[in-house]
Amino acid sequence: MRPASTPLARRTLLGAALALPAIGSARAQAWPARPVTLIVPWPAGGSTDVSMRAMAEAAAKHLGQQVVVDNKPGAAGTLGGATMAATARPDGYTIAQMPISMFRLPYMQKTSFDPQKDFTYISNLTGYTFGVVVKKDSKFQTFKELIEAARAEPGKITYATPGAGTTLHITMEQIAAAAGVKWTQVPFKGGAETSAAVMGGHVSATADSTGWGPLVDAGELRLLCTWGGARTKKWPNVPTLTELGFPIVSDSPFGIAGPRNMNPVAVQKLDEAFRAAMQDKAVLDTLEKFDMAPRYMPTADYIKFVNETIAEQKVLIERLGLKTS
Amino acid sequence: MDVFNSLWLGLGVAMQPMNLLFCFAGVFIGTLIGVLPGIGPVAAMSLLLPITFNITPEAAIIMLAGIYYGSMYGGSTTSILVNIPGEAASVITCLDGYQMARNGRAGPALGMAAIGSFIAGTLAVVGLMLLAPTLARVAVKFGPAEYFSLMVLGLTILVWLSQGSIIKALIMACLGVVLGLVGIDSITAMPRLTFDQMQLIDGLGLVPIVMGLFGIAEILNNLEQRLDREVFQARVEGLMPTKEDWKRSAGPIARGSVLGFFLGILPGGGAVISSFLSYAMEKRLSKTPERFGKGAIEGVAGPETANNAAAGAGFIPLLTLGIPPNVVMALLLGAFIVHGVQPGPLMMTQNPQLFWGVVASMYIGNVMLLVLNMPLIGLWVQLLKVPYKILFPMILLFCVIGAYSVSNQVFDVYLMLGFGILGWLMKKYGYEPAPLVLAFVLGPMLENNLRKSMILSQGDFMMFLERPISAVCLACAVLLLVSPLLPIFNKQRKQLATEES
Repeated sequence: MRPASTPLARRTLLGAALALPAIGSARAQAWPARPVTLIVPWPAGGSTDVSMRAMAEAAAKHLGQQVVVDNKPGAAGTLGGATMAATARPDGYTIAQMPISMFRLPYMQKTSFDPQKDFTYISNLTGYTFGVVVKKDSKFQTFKELIEAARAEPGKITYATPGAGTTLHITMEQIAAAAGVKWTQVPFKGGAETSAAVMGGHVSATADSTGWGPLVDAGELRLLCTWGGARTKKWPNVPTLTELGFPIVSDSPFGIAGPRNMNPVAVQKLDEAFRAAMQDKAVLDTLEKFDMAPRYMPTADYIKFVNETIAEQKVLIERLGLKTS
Repeated sequence: MDVFNSLWLGLGVAMQPMNLLFCFAGVFIGTLIGVLPGIGPVAAMSLLLPITFNITPEAAIIMLAGIYYGSMYGGSTTSILVNIPGEAASVITCLDGYQMARNGRAGPALGMAAIGSFIAGTLAVVGLMLLAPTLARVAVKFGPAEYFSLMVLGLTILVWLSQGSIIKALIMACLGVVLGLVGIDSITAMPRLTFDQMQLIDGLGLVPIVMGLFGIAEILNNLEQRLDREVFQARVEGLMPTKEDWKRSAGPIARGSVLGFFLGILPGGGAVISSFLSYAMEKRLSKTPERFGKGAIEGVAGPETANNAAAGAGFIPLLTLGIPPNVVMALLLGAFIVHGVQPGPLMMTQNPQLFWGVVASMYIGNVMLLVLNMPLIGLWVQLLKVPYKILFPMILLFCVIGAYSVSNQVFDVYLMLGFGILGWLMKKYGYEPAPLVLAFVLGPMLENNLRKSMILSQGDFMMFLERPISAVCLACAVLLLVSPLLPIFNKQRKQLATEES
């Protein structure tokens, strides 16, 4: 088992060394002098990995140096960032994808990192498309009907999610709280099982990312709402939560960050490179295939967004009782 | 479109030189990674995925699918030769496969595994072709209650049939269940037994546990004994299965194909469950159950057939519903999407070329695998003649690489070594590792499905009895559990599970 104190001490030392202005500027002129490692805390081949690889390739063109993707899956997508915080130098040559679990897990259990202090946030990039589906022969034609059924019989309406404590679970409970109804979560393992659960009639509805897409297109499932800021390109007839009267946008946005006290020149250059990547055609095509909407935010906006998200997650986790003492 | 026209169309696609080449590349890589312990199809497919971006979707999927079913062929090799299952589905093959190798019959064991795999693989493709849409619909009827009862039955059979002490088997199964609890609780998202260690949040890895308990423990155990060639000094008697082997294996292969095919359609662990259920079934049906665990070819033919049939059947929910039943299929789903194809009910009509091309390539791939694997058997058996002082460090090296490559975490390497020592101690005191591993896999599924059922029924246990499939499974389990109390059955059990000396 890894003692928590050693990496912390090392990190502080590294931070102190880089705070010296002479070293900082010497590094800045040459940056980037060698390939940048991008830690992706998800297994290779998944939607996040494939889209990050496309962005890395596009950003590399802009930086004039390769961006090498390093998959470090584990701990609900936090192991990559945690490893970076504990071991990487803040020279800009190691950055990591920051999923929303980085801001959520610290409120659910003790973690080796503090999202507020241990990272230098660079830019936000994109998010996922979530939605609620029911079976084709379900009596619920609209999302309103589903909510009214939950109001009529509290707890009777069941919905499948890809896991407890996921954004899907949290948002469904946010909706229930806003509507003043009660429904029951049935957490499955990952997207495959949630589609099967609603197809087999085991739950009333499923809330998940677009794994249900092909079944919706085939008319086997009915899509009641999507959770983005605007209607989706693929299903333009389906209303958003905001349109339905719930001012909630839920897409688990993610961006990139480096270790704390990162070289500011590197931050700026990386932000520029990823901004360019988010306009690259290959990147946009890849995102579209996975129904991920671009949501670029420059450094200052992203930092503000992260702080808001951290505060928001704390409240949500406590409200749902997911916090360990 | 009728099936034969479609298949003809598919063959046209699969026989294109480029696609044939990628099919061969896939099954070849699959065989290799299947043979190397620890490095499984998931690792290989995710590494090769970016390479497929520049080829046609047909070639890409044909190759990736080839890696998967190819690895199922190769997976038995290390189980039989060195007692290291590369994955959970080959755990049960170790029991008799390795004993056959010790008896100098590694050749027939490998041969029968390959032939059984070929038959099962081909039958699974036929089933996929003819029954896919109907079966996918039936499979989704399996809800949490059905899964729970199936798991209960599975675990009961496991303990009932384990060799030696039933108490020791129960202790191991309980330990496996407890180890399976580590990580974030799947229902409430609360961390359990993680001791605030981030490495434990996702739970313990299966690969390090399996390689430790079987592989490392076997090496430690052998090191304790005199380092001459006592284990394999028996002469290798022929590489091909004998007439007697064929006679014994025909039934297990037929039953294993059917069992594996149907369990493979179900999401979650079909290959694992089918392999040990097949073993249990063969032992139960055998007239000479005392041979099991001592090198019975039925114990190799049945499970190896079943896990290959399950591997083939796993394509059904993916291709017809867009629902991947296991991790490998999830990866394949990603590959489809990258290439702009959404697997699902519409795929057969929107992309007939791709759908039938992939199906047809599986026929071809299975033939390629057989041709590729049969001559290799001689080569693999030669491996047993490598002196221990070279073989052992190599196995250790591959185990370390394998454990690391699955997760890219050094922690998993330590975990594997820890379980290696545990496995060695277990062997010394007569505890079997198989119940532990299978309980580790099934335990969390059992718990998760029980709790989901309870949520759905609002705490009413009658749910398990009201649903027919679930009720039948539970009834069988109860029968097995009370059977030791009834004198007739107890005699039979003792006969089935003879204490190993």
